[in-house]
Amino acid sequence: MRGMKMTTENQTFAEKFDLLGCIQCGRCTGGCPVTVRTNLNVRRFVYDAYNEDLLDELSRMAEIWDCTGCHTCAVRCPKGLKPLEVLIGLRSLVVESGKTQPTVRDALESTFMEGNPWEKPRATRGDWMEGLDVKIAQPDQSVENLFFVCCTIAYDPRVKIVAQNMVRLLEKAGVDYAFLGEDESCCGSEVFTLGEDGLFEMIVEDNTELLNEYQAKRIVALSPHCFTTFKTHYPDLNKPVLHYTQLLAELLEQEKLVFKNGLAKKIVFHDPCYLGKQSGVFDEPRRLLKAIEGVELVEFNRARERSLCCEGGGGKMWVESESKIERLAETRIKDARALEADIVAVACPFCVLTLEDAVKALGYEEEMRVAEIMELLGELDGAQDKSNSA
Amino acid sequence: MKIFTCIKYVPDTSEAEIKLNPEGTEVDSSRFSFDINDADNYAVEESVLIKEKYGGNVTVVSIGPKESDVMIRMAMAKGCDNAIRIEDERIASHDPLMVARVLAGAIKDQEFDLVLTGCMANDYGQATTGVALAEILGVPHAAYVKKVEIEDGKVKAYRELEGGLMEVVEINLPAVLTIQTGINEPRYAPIRGIRQAQKKELKVVNLDDLGIAEGDVNAEASQITLEKLYIPVVESKAEIIEGEPEEKAEKLASILVKGGLV
Amino acid sequence: MGNVLVLAEHRRGELRDITFEMLSLAPSLAKDLGGEVMVLLLGNDLDQMAEKIAGYGVKVLVVDDPLFADYNSDKYQKVISALIDDYKPKLVMLGQTAQGVDLAPALAVEKKLPFVADVVGLEVEDGVLKATRQLYSGKVNAQIAFKPADTYLVTIREAAFEAPEPAAAGTIEKLDSPLKEDLDYRKFVEYIEAEVGDVDITQSEILVGIGRGLKEDKNLPIAEELAEVIKADLCGSRAACDAGWLPSDRQVGTSGKTVKPKLYLCMGISGAFQHVAGIKGAKTIVAINKDPNAPIFAEADYAIIDDLHKVVPKLTEKLKELKG
Repeated sequence: MRGMKMTTENQTFAEKFDLLGCIQCGRCTGGCPVTVRTNLNVRRFVYDAYNEDLLDELSRMAEIWDCTGCHTCAVRCPKGLKPLEVLIGLRSLVVESGKTQPTVRDALESTFMEGNPWEKPRATRGDWMEGLDVKIAQPDQSVENLFFVCCTIAYDPRVKIVAQNMVRLLEKAGVDYAFLGEDESCCGSEVFTLGEDGLFEMIVEDNTELLNEYQAKRIVALSPHCFTTFKTHYPDLNKPVLHYTQLLAELLEQEKLVFKNGLAKKIVFHDPCYLGKQSGVFDEPRRLLKAIEGVELVEFNRARERSLCCEGGGGKMWVESESKIERLAETRIKDARALEADIVAVACPFCVLTLEDAVKALGYEEEMRVAEIMELLGELDGAQDKSNSA
Repeated sequence: MKIFTCIKYVPDTSEAEIKLNPEGTEVDSSRFSFDINDADNYAVEESVLIKEKYGGNVTVVSIGPKESDVMIRMAMAKGCDNAIRIEDERIASHDPLMVARVLAGAIKDQEFDLVLTGCMANDYGQATTGVALAEILGVPHAAYVKKVEIEDGKVKAYRELEGGLMEVVEINLPAVLTIQTGINEPRYAPIRGIRQAQKKELKVVNLDDLGIAEGDVNAEASQITLEKLYIPVVESKAEIIEGEPEEKAEKLASILVKGGLV
Repeated sequence: MGNVLVLAEHRRGELRDITFEMLSLAPSLAKDLGGEVMVLLLGNDLDQMAEKIAGYGVKVLVVDDPLFADYNSDKYQKVISALIDDYKPKLVMLGQTAQGVDLAPALAVEKKLPFVADVVGLEVEDGVLKATRQLYSGKVNAQIAFKPADTYLVTIREAAFEAPEPAAAGTIEKLDSPLKEDLDYRKFVEYIEAEVGDVDITQSEILVGIGRGLKEDKNLPIAEELAEVIKADLCGSRAACDAGWLPSDRQVGTSGKTVKPKLYLCMGISGAFQHVAGIKGAKTIVAINKDPNAPIFAEADYAIIDDLHKVVPKLTEKLKELKG
């Protein structure tokens, strides 16, 4: 189980998370984005969790559910530890006891039963394809790019356009591709961060078996969550995994990607945590945006490795913080407003949902919009202009 | 306490559009997800809570297909000890009295203190099986139970009545209680628990194994016939407000304000 | 003889609406079956209630005995069972209420009666009694035929029929209780009133109702902000209260409160009958739901078929503007 957290029962919590390796420097807490909103002090948890007698008490603290899984702590740890996984370990204690919050329970049950955390039937996973002629992968047919859609993109009406536009673009660019269709099942990203180890192990096994069966050169994930989860937690996957922005950047280089129209807008790119700081994909999305005629690409102060988390990951879609302090997504949107950006471009379905909520909450709908890069690319191709800015 | 908990595997039709077969005899369930019936999930939790408090064991009883084993394993992962799944095409499943006879056939020869069922099924919504089961077993019952207290061979059942009123009744054990949703907060069944529950006994039986005569529980035995299913026409007197979401909101706001409704 | 025997339902000295609702369909059925309507009134200290029922032109059978001072399904069952033997009614009708649900299935088993629960339509067609009932929360209807028998049993859904106006004077017949001794295996203990929270929604003039469609508690502000602008109180379906989004004293429906606001604006409520029965008294109903087939639209005066998450925030905004 290379690369995976060991789960042998006789291993202590301290051994499992290498707690003794911690030098208590505090860079984890210092970098943690949610500390401005909540009481979460991850350094403290790493320290206290060494005492096995405290684990039960620690697992009952509400803050362990404030972590968004952004990995800033892991990126900054000078000892190469992953402090957030201590919090996930504590969540596991709760999950194993069965006493999870109902929303978490329902998301996990749905992932187990229906292969998605959104409580949607497995049989409707392919509904986003309606009206499109999508190539479906067959295990015995070789294909260059095997696409993995993601539960959120497949089911959420707001973001399914990411997959739909991708199909149109692939057809137009003449790319050899196929989608998994209804056989696709959750990658387990949120299951992992919610602390359901057993389910995550099962998902990794099942998906590895499923994906390895296909004769594909590589897997292309539409969501950074699936992308990073495959890369980090699927040691036995027999093919490389790309994020779609990497594939498109490649097509751009090969001059296979031609945009019919331009877009005279000021765009700021928000680095999704799972794409940027966790997987090092910073340049490809920017290259795509710059390739659009008329786009003025500006940068957040907190960009790339320092990108501010939108609070969409880490299972936070199912756990609400009690904090009444401004959401990080709102902070982010205010920053974008200060830059006078027309569009906040993202490359992650969760970021779309959280940042768009923030735009609405702040009442900036007239001034700016949040768009997935695939949405913008679709509009350039003559699809209806959805821009509502002046 | 020796407890039997009866559960049903039902489709979730809350969001999906329902289609019928052309004959109007069956619902096309191919696009639904299936799971434990809501109220039954609370019954499972309550049985486990009772077991945790008073000791004993819980047997799950369910009539359903092989696919429902996963639901049964989840109940076992939560603390139920063993299970009986009855699979038999001959049962007249549209008639809860026939269903109750089958369940009674699985329980009656065994020792029991309590039988719990959900108070109503999401699919047929008859709220009948549990109380019928009690009568067949010849034990007292209470329906729509939202709180349970057990002492001295008796159970105090808090029945949820209309208007938020509770009726407290005291009945002798053994008894059947039909459990109302909201009585507790059902726990999560972690996958490790479900895997461990594979070791617990799940007996799959049919009518013959239970010694139930087909002629007692099949469509012939039922005194009612399901003639047809149909999608009701929603007869609406409503003024439907059309447009983009924003237009709809604007029109409604104006109706409410101009009509003096707000 | 094709008599119809209706069980009157009452609680704490008051007849419940279902009693009269059953009287709206009993007479025509009795006519089709070739008999008359008899109403069984069972309890203690029943004179006033008996008079009131008789005012609907029916024969009231009264069993007035201290044994029945408190409701007890098992005692009721003994009495009805004995009266079925004595009077041989063709059809016995109870309410699909907390009372009827606790009683009818056991009676059906004991007397081997063909039984259909929660009926919303009942008629005699070519000599065959046929019932209509709803499946899947009202998304599918089923027509069920009774096979020939001496006596049929049904329970009638609450609020499915409109109570008739009182008619000619009927008759009252007092009977001795067929049950002579108290039962030792089931005892009434007490009634417990629901705790009354800060708001009594039965008195609210404007209500905003939320249901499963709200999805999760973090969306609660969508409803709260609208409620604030139109000075409404919040209430919800069983699903919303079970989920803990609202306290249980805000639940509307058969197992919750019956409300009678001037305006009931609900979002993400599909309109399961348990809920709809609680809003019959609302003057104007506005429903917002993305499922065009949601049964709530049958009740609504104004309907918006759309995602509440898109519409409601805009609605709140517009109302804010209009109301200054």
